[in-house]
Amino acid sequence: MKIEIDEISKAFGTTAALTPVSLSIPSGALVALLGPSGSGKTTLLRILGGLEFPTSGRVLFDGQDATGLTVQQRRAGFVFQSYALFRHMTVFENIAYGLRARPRAVRPPKAEITRRVTKLLELIQLPEIGARYPSQLSGGQRQRVALARALAIEPRMLLLDEPFGALDAKVRKELRQGLRDIHDETGLTTVFVTHDQEEAMELADLVVVMSGSQTGGRIEQIGKPADIRARPASDFVRSFIAA
Amino acid sequence: MSDLSHATPARRFRAPTEEAPLARWLLIGFVTLALAVLVFAPLIAIFVEALSKGWEAAWKSLFSREALPAIKLTLTVAAIAVPLNAAFGIAAAWFITKFDFRGKAFLITLIDLPFSVSPVVAGLCIVLLFGANTAIGAWLVAHGFPIVFALPGIVLATVFVTFPFVARELIPVMIEQGRAEEEAALTLGASGWRTFLTVTLPNIRWALLYGVLLSNARAMGEFGAVAVVSGRRESATTMPLKIEMFYNEYQGATAFAMAGLLAFLALLTLLLKTWLENRHAGELSANRRGH
Amino acid sequence: MGRPVVHRSPMPGLGLSMGITFTMLSIVVLLPIGALLLQGVSYGAEGIWATVNRERVWKALYLSFRLSFYAAVFNLIFGVILAWVLARYRFPGHRILDAAVDLPFALPTAVAGIALTALYAPNGFFGASWTHTIAPALNAGLAWPEAALNVLVTGLGFEPWSLQVPPRIAYSTMGIFIALVFVGLPFVARTVQPVIHEIDREVEEASATLGASRLHTLRRVVWPMLLPAALTGFALSLARAVGEYGSVIFIAGNKPLVTEIAPLLIVIQLEEFSYDGAAAIGIAMLVISFAMLLVINLIQVWSRRRIGYV
Repeated sequence: MKIEIDEISKAFGTTAALTPVSLSIPSGALVALLGPSGSGKTTLLRILGGLEFPTSGRVLFDGQDATGLTVQQRRAGFVFQSYALFRHMTVFENIAYGLRARPRAVRPPKAEITRRVTKLLELIQLPEIGARYPSQLSGGQRQRVALARALAIEPRMLLLDEPFGALDAKVRKELRQGLRDIHDETGLTTVFVTHDQEEAMELADLVVVMSGSQTGGRIEQIGKPADIRARPASDFVRSFIAA
Repeated sequence: MSDLSHATPARRFRAPTEEAPLARWLLIGFVTLALAVLVFAPLIAIFVEALSKGWEAAWKSLFSREALPAIKLTLTVAAIAVPLNAAFGIAAAWFITKFDFRGKAFLITLIDLPFSVSPVVAGLCIVLLFGANTAIGAWLVAHGFPIVFALPGIVLATVFVTFPFVARELIPVMIEQGRAEEEAALTLGASGWRTFLTVTLPNIRWALLYGVLLSNARAMGEFGAVAVVSGRRESATTMPLKIEMFYNEYQGATAFAMAGLLAFLALLTLLLKTWLENRHAGELSANRRGH
Repeated sequence: MGRPVVHRSPMPGLGLSMGITFTMLSIVVLLPIGALLLQGVSYGAEGIWATVNRERVWKALYLSFRLSFYAAVFNLIFGVILAWVLARYRFPGHRILDAAVDLPFALPTAVAGIALTALYAPNGFFGASWTHTIAPALNAGLAWPEAALNVLVTGLGFEPWSLQVPPRIAYSTMGIFIALVFVGLPFVARTVQPVIHEIDREVEEASATLGASRLHTLRRVVWPMLLPAALTGFALSLARAVGEYGSVIFIAGNKPLVTEIAPLLIVIQLEEFSYDGAAAIGIAMLVISFAMLLVINLIQVWSRRRIGYV
């Protein structure tokens, strides 16, 4: 699905979080929102997911205005920085949650839910852990379960907030490849937020470099990793990717 | 910033972690109404009844020959029981948080025990231990130190029902603060007492005050345990017991005047407690914060 | 067992703090409770049973536990709603309501008792409208369903049931219920409120992004997280209500077999200098209280194992 961000701005009270930004994300792309904290990248992601409402501007999904859609209507698979797994539910129940939450008329039958959850557990290469509770998992396993849970609702896009932020370096490298594989397999338009330029450059097709300022976060440069490296558009980008 | 008017959303956005405004206002209305009936109405009733014969009558009845000894006794009991409790609370919290020993969880359970014992049963226990019909009790009476039906018994019953209050406030705070500051003071050559007075006490003073406040409120208001231990003796009648006597003797206005005084103290306690929760939240146990 | 009872520590004051702790614990709590148990032992199981196994005692125990249970259930439901409103919503008067929740803790029970009696007595502010307006109207409205029900009930061979509400609140079981609700009011709200503050908003957001409605999120995600704390508060409220004396005896009317609570029986036994009888009922109540304490601890262990926190 193609995502367009049209002159979106956001202020929390009197604090500006985003100056009007525009961005077009082609269908099936893997995009990184890269920037330091305070650059509004997470705010932008949350606006895409319907968790925040923009102060001004529009969001378009496949050319249609989606600004007024509720978070439930958007069907965006969202992976939170803290993973936000339901700790009183098993891994299986966590992944099945979105399917079971559907109204009776469109809810898949029980066997179908089991089949899909089992498939997702295989996709994240953790077929054995369905009966465990989140507290019994490692950080990397939790992240993958959160991803599977987001994929279970057959999302129209995948949004990830610092998906590797809480993991150590080795696990981070492994899971990067995992995300790449899942993206290639599902073909979902995927947007992830990161402050790690190496991660953005290595993983994304398209990198959006953002910076923060008094008037709110703004976009410094949009481009392929190689182009950004070769031709940084501003001093900010040059120093940020050098870090 | 740019002109935002053209982009005003048609429908007000509701954060996904909020309930619909209608549901929200219905819940607020329900809770307000319920608390008005359950909590505010009795409170108002006390003051209305207390002042039914005017300020002056109420005031006079508090300083009558019958009422004054009860007020004095209540103040005396609180003045003994609350410091005893504070001393115990500090000692127990120090022992539990500064040392590692076996059976710590069990000790905490024992300290909490009085919360799950009926005050009447607590009073009964004290009567059974120190009553004149027991060996200890008879010996104490013979030596001119009766416990039951006298001040010491009332103090004991009061300490029983307020036993965990101070310790419960201090233990979580002292666990959170750890031992590093005390260890630092000791390495700098401070004596044990000096370390406690200059390092520990300033860190726990608000939590201590909080515990003392709760402990005092309960100490002045305790009824069941004290009723059993006092044996309804005129010389061992605290304010709550006096309220019952006045009430049963159809001196309603006098009973409510005294009730009004205790209710006023309760309001004062709540006020102080709220102030502590707002101003010194960081130095109270976690459950007392976040209002 | 190579582990020492107390690990060596550079901290000062071990002897003093341990001494004060155990001395006071013994004098104030352990010895008195020991005396009660000893009295029970010397009285013997048969003696205790003979005391407890009388209609008046059974009725009082049954009354105490039944009404305490009802009051605790009410406080469970109301307390969770109260905690939610206080933790999540901001509105004018919020702080006053928040402070008011603790009033039942701060107000002496005898004061609460006479205040509630004044309100709910047949000539009181609420009592009068109940006796003269609400109760007759309710009873008139219930007459027809009662008749219909009793056709069925007597048809099945049972005694007819009564759906009629009592004409008075004070001096009836309803009055006792109201007093027990009052004294137990803060427990659930105050155990649940900090848990609501701790809930990670991202968890609720996650539920919404997965398509769940707000109501679904509250039922399937939020409520299970609050449940352990709510149950702890329920048990505390129940324990408090069972032992409650001061606020109840004024409003109860204390009619033997009808509105006489168990703690009152202990007081009556003591006034008659029947120490054995008082001890027997006291032990019965103590045993039940300890059982409830055990349940509280089990709930906490269970919830810690299940979701990693209390």
